[in-house]
Amino acid sequence: MNYVPGTASLIDDIDKKHLVLLRDGRTLIGYLRSIDQFANLVFHQTVERIHVGKKFGDIPRGIFIVRGENVVLLGEIDVDKPCDTVLQQVSIEEILEEQRLQQQAKQETEKVKMQVLKDRGLSIPKADNLDEY
Amino acid sequence: MDCGLLQAMAEEDEEINVHNEETFGTDLDAQGTTEDPSSGLLQFVEPLPPPPPPAPPTPPLPDPKPPSRHSSPSPPRQKPQCLPRTPLRQRGRGRGYRGGLDRGQMFEDPAVMRIVEGRPNLKVMKMVYLLSKKLQLRGLASRQLVLILVCFAFKTLDSAIMHSPIITGSPIFSRQPLTPRQLYNQVYYSTRNQTYSDTVKQKYLHNVFLFVLNQPGRFMFPSSRPCPSTPQSLTPKMMQLRFGANSPRPSPFYSPSSNPVQHFRYPGPVTQLHPQHKRLLSQKQGAFQRKFDGWDPYCNLMTTKEREWITRLQMIQLQSENPYLEDYYYQEYYRRIEAKMAEEELGIRGKREPPKLTTPYITKTDSYAPVVHIEGSLGQVAVSTCYSPRRAIGAVHATVISTLQEQKDMRQQRLEVLSKIEKLFIALLEVEETARMKTPVLSEAEERRLGEKTQWKVENIYSQLQDHNPADSGGEFLPFLLVSKGKRLLARLLPFLKQDSALKILRIVTSNLPTLMSRDAEEALPVLYPALRNVIGGLSFSQLIKVLKDLITSEPLSTYESLTVTCQNKFGLSLLYALLSQGEKLLSSGVRLEPSIGDFETWTDTIFQVAGQLSQCSLVEPLILPSNLLTLFCRYLDKRTVHQLKSNIESATGFVALPS
Repeated sequence: MNYVPGTASLIDDIDKKHLVLLRDGRTLIGYLRSIDQFANLVFHQTVERIHVGKKFGDIPRGIFIVRGENVVLLGEIDVDKPCDTVLQQVSIEEILEEQRLQQQAKQETEKVKMQVLKDRGLSIPKADNLDEY
Repeated sequence: MDCGLLQAMAEEDEEINVHNEETFGTDLDAQGTTEDPSSGLLQFVEPLPPPPPPAPPTPPLPDPKPPSRHSSPSPPRQKPQCLPRTPLRQRGRGRGYRGGLDRGQMFEDPAVMRIVEGRPNLKVMKMVYLLSKKLQLRGLASRQLVLILVCFAFKTLDSAIMHSPIITGSPIFSRQPLTPRQLYNQVYYSTRNQTYSDTVKQKYLHNVFLFVLNQPGRFMFPSSRPCPSTPQSLTPKMMQLRFGANSPRPSPFYSPSSNPVQHFRYPGPVTQLHPQHKRLLSQKQGAFQRKFDGWDPYCNLMTTKEREWITRLQMIQLQSENPYLEDYYYQEYYRRIEAKMAEEELGIRGKREPPKLTTPYITKTDSYAPVVHIEGSLGQVAVSTCYSPRRAIGAVHATVISTLQEQKDMRQQRLEVLSKIEKLFIALLEVEETARMKTPVLSEAEERRLGEKTQWKVENIYSQLQDHNPADSGGEFLPFLLVSKGKRLLARLLPFLKQDSALKILRIVTSNLPTLMSRDAEEALPVLYPALRNVIGGLSFSQLIKVLKDLITSEPLSTYESLTVTCQNKFGLSLLYALLSQGEKLLSSGVRLEPSIGDFETWTDTIFQVAGQLSQCSLVEPLILPSNLLTLFCRYLDKRTVHQLKSNIESATGFVALPS
C-alpha cells in the first residue's frame, strides 16, 4: 500500500528480496528490512554476488546496513520467477580467484595502454574518483 | 532466592510501566479486556492440576475491569514455597496492567505457582523476565502471555513437543494466528512431567518469542486512541524543528514522535493530498488485504509507527506553496478525474458524445475517377486503376497566387501572426495564473497593486492584438481570429477585458462572421462562444441593435445570403440565438432601454427577417438553445409561423424548444 502515491517510496519494498548495486561496484542481494528518510537500507540474509564472465559466486554476509548515498540502484527480485540459467554458479574460492585474475588482466592492459600513450606524449588521467566531482 | 534481584526487577518494571504510558498512552480498555480471557484462564487453571482440565472453557468474563480482576479473590492462593513476596508499589495497578507484568503478581498467580516445581532455575527465570520485559516494550505483554512463557520455562517438555512447530519454527502456526488462549492450551497440555535441559528450554523460548512477536495483529495492542486534549498534529514547522540539532534519536522507540495522536492510516494533517486522492486512497484502504503467503519469521521488523513516520517525513518534503506550479501534472490529473466524476453524477449533460476521430469520408463512385481530391489536402489520394497508373502528388493551390513574392509575403505574415500569438499566450498564462492564485493573505495595498499589474498586462495583450498590421490584413484582430489558436487566445482573454474592449471584439466577430465561418476549417469558432455569450449578456439595447446590424449586413453578402450562411454554421446560429435572446430579455425585463432613433424598427425588421430565414432553411444544432426565443417570436409573429419555426428548430436540435 503506497502511502505516498505520486512519488517513489521504499515503504512498499520492505520485507522483499532486493538486489542493490553499490557505488563501489558490489552487488548485494538480501531482504530489505528497514529504511529511513535518507534511503539508508538494512538488509537481512545478505549475499554478495560476484560476477566474472558467465560465472558467479555468492558470499553470505549476514546483515548489512548500507548508507543511502552509496546506492546506485535497487530493484526487487521476484522469487517466484525461474532463475536465469545462462549463468553458472561456482564456489566462493573459485569466483574470487576468477575475480583476481580478471583484475590482474585489466591492470595489465591498463599499464600497456598508459605506456603506449606516454610514448606518444599523451596522458589521460585515471578516472578513479570520478564521482567525487 | 535472591530477594534483591527481584526487587531490582520490580523497580525496572515500574520504569517500564511509565515508559509504556508515555508511548502508548493510558488507554487500556480496548485491548486489555476483549482479547484477554485470562480471567477465564484463571478459572480454567484453578481446579487442576493433576486431572486434565475440562474442555476449553468459554470464558465467562466476569466484568473485565482490570482492577477488579486483581482484587477479586477468586482462586485460593497457594503460598509460594520458595519465593518471597516482593513488596510492590501498587502504583496504578490499573495502569500497570497495560504492561501486564507485575513481578509480584506473576508469582502470586496460582497458575504460575502450580507450575513452579522445585527450585526454579534462576537463569531461566531471568530469561523469562527479560523476554517479558521486551514484550512489554513492544506493547505485547499480556498476562497470559507471561503465563505461557513461565509455563514452558519452568515446566518440562513433552517429547511430542520436541518436534512441535514451536521448536522447529515451521510455518504451521502461520495458518491461523493463535490466540493467547490457544497457545496456552497447546503448551499446557504438553507440559507434563519430564525434564529437559536448559538449552532446550531456551530454544523453545526463543522460538515462541519470535512467533509471538510476529503476530502483530492479534497480540499487539492497538495504537492509542487520539487523546482529545492533545493538538491534532505537529505543524510542519514543528516537524522541521525535529531534525538537525533537535533531531530525535533514531532508536525505534523514540523516532516516531511520542505524540499519541499517531494513529492515522494515511498521512493525515501534514499532507497536501488532493481531496479526490484522499477519497481514492480511503477506498483502496478498505479493499486492501495483506497477502499471507510464505511465512517470513523476520517480517515486520519495521513497525507501522516507523513506516508512518517515514511516510510523514516524505509528505512534508512534498509540501509546497504553489502546487499548480510545482506539481502541475498531479493537480491536473486529479482535477480532471473530479470533473469527470462530477459530470457523471450530474448525468450526461446534453447529447455529448465522446469525441470522434473524423476521417475524411471517401465515397466510391460508379464512375471512374482518376483523381480523388479531398478538401483541404495538399495532394491526391492514391487511386490506381487498370486504366491509369497513380499520379504523382500535385500540389495545386485553390487560390492562384500571381507571383512568388506574394506567396513569400503571405507565408511571412502568417508566421508573424503565429509567433505573436505564442508570445501573447505566455503573457495570458501569467495573467490567468495570478487570477487563479487569489490568496486571501494579501493586504489591501498588495491586492490593488496586483490587480493593477494584471490589468496592465491585459491591456498590453489587447493593444498588441489590435495594432498588428492594420493596413494589411483586413482590420484589427482579424488575422488572429483567423487562426484557431488566436481564437482560443481571444476567448481566454475576453473575461479579463473591460466591457467596451470586449464589445469591440464582439463587433468585429459579427461583422466578419461570414469570412470567419468560411475560413474556419478546424471548427474552432465555438471556442469563442462562451466568452462572447457573457459579453452579449452585458449589452445594452442600442449596442445590441448595432451588433445585430453588423451581423446581418456583413459586406460581401446580402442579408439573405449572410443569414443563410449563419444558420448553417453552428457558431453563427448560436451567436444569433444569443443575441435574440438578449434582446428579448431586455425587452421583457421592463428596464428603461434608452433606445436610439430607429432602434425598434431595426429590431422588428431583424426579427422578421430571421424568423423568415429560420423557418425556411435547414438549421444545424446550435451550441445552446436559449429558452426565451419562442416567447420572442410569439410576440411578433402569427401562430402559424411560430409553429413552423418551432418545428424547424426542434427538428434541428432534437429538444423540445418550449411548450407553446
